[in-house]
Amino acid sequence: MPDPTHVGRRYQAPGQVIESAGAARFAAAVAGSDPVAALGPIPPTYAAVYCLFPTLGQIFLDPEVGLELAGLVHAEQSFEFAAAPVPGETVDATAEIVGVAARRGRWFVTVTMEAHRPSGEPVVSGRALLIAAGAPA
Amino acid sequence: MSPLAPADVTVGGALAPLTRTVTQDQITAYAAAAGDPNPIHTDPDVARAFGFPAPIAHGMLTLAILTEAVAAWAGGYDRVASISVRFSRPLIAGDTITCTGRVADVDVAAGMAGLELEALSDRGDRVLTNGRASVRLVSRD
Repeated sequence: MPDPTHVGRRYQAPGQVIESAGAARFAAAVAGSDPVAALGPIPPTYAAVYCLFPTLGQIFLDPEVGLELAGLVHAEQSFEFAAAPVPGETVDATAEIVGVAARRGRWFVTVTMEAHRPSGEPVVSGRALLIAAGAPA
Repeated sequence: MSPLAPADVTVGGALAPLTRTVTQDQITAYAAAAGDPNPIHTDPDVARAFGFPAPIAHGMLTLAILTEAVAAWAGGYDRVASISVRFSRPLIAGDTITCTGRVADVDVAAGMAGLELEALSDRGDRVLTNGRASVRLVSRD
């Protein structure tokens, strides 16, 4: 189960290619039956694909952290967009567990994440709060 | 669509609301496009086991729709400098979400506007709360 000693664990998802076709599928899914918004090539929250899910997915599967996935809630999310991603570019994503607390039988796990260009230039950073069952009451 | 300058922005001014019905097909397409296989978004039996009448939209899908509302107001995706929300209530497949916002502050020197945001469902659920965004303005001399 999660434990405050897990604070500081880092997860790497290097080599995330920001593909136009993938971003177009993402934008179409966000639009649903409405016209796809003509606001730029890459929707900002496409960061879910090249930063958030590739790193959070590793935390979910980390046996030492042992998050209970059934009923796991994504409770809060923030993003800061430092640079607009360019279609075709590759970024490296990382995440870090920065908080683990037990309250009322649930685990509150805070994760920060970021993606940057090979030059080190930041593209996005973010913070997620996850709430999972199984903590001491 | 053109980016906003400080002269275009008034504290208290509202964004055009963005209303969208989020269908199961759309949620399934988002699951595939975003790479999130959690069956609570696609399997009615799993959703019912967690007490929902139908599968629920990804919080990140609702945040994407809210971000679109901000970008449409601001004049492009690249104008959105930051966004944050609390996923307070799930959006059930087939429900309609309405995203709203207002200008909370304008920093002319920094060329930034701050927005307060929220999203409600047509069942009256406050889906996204505590929403905040910052938007890059342009200087128009």
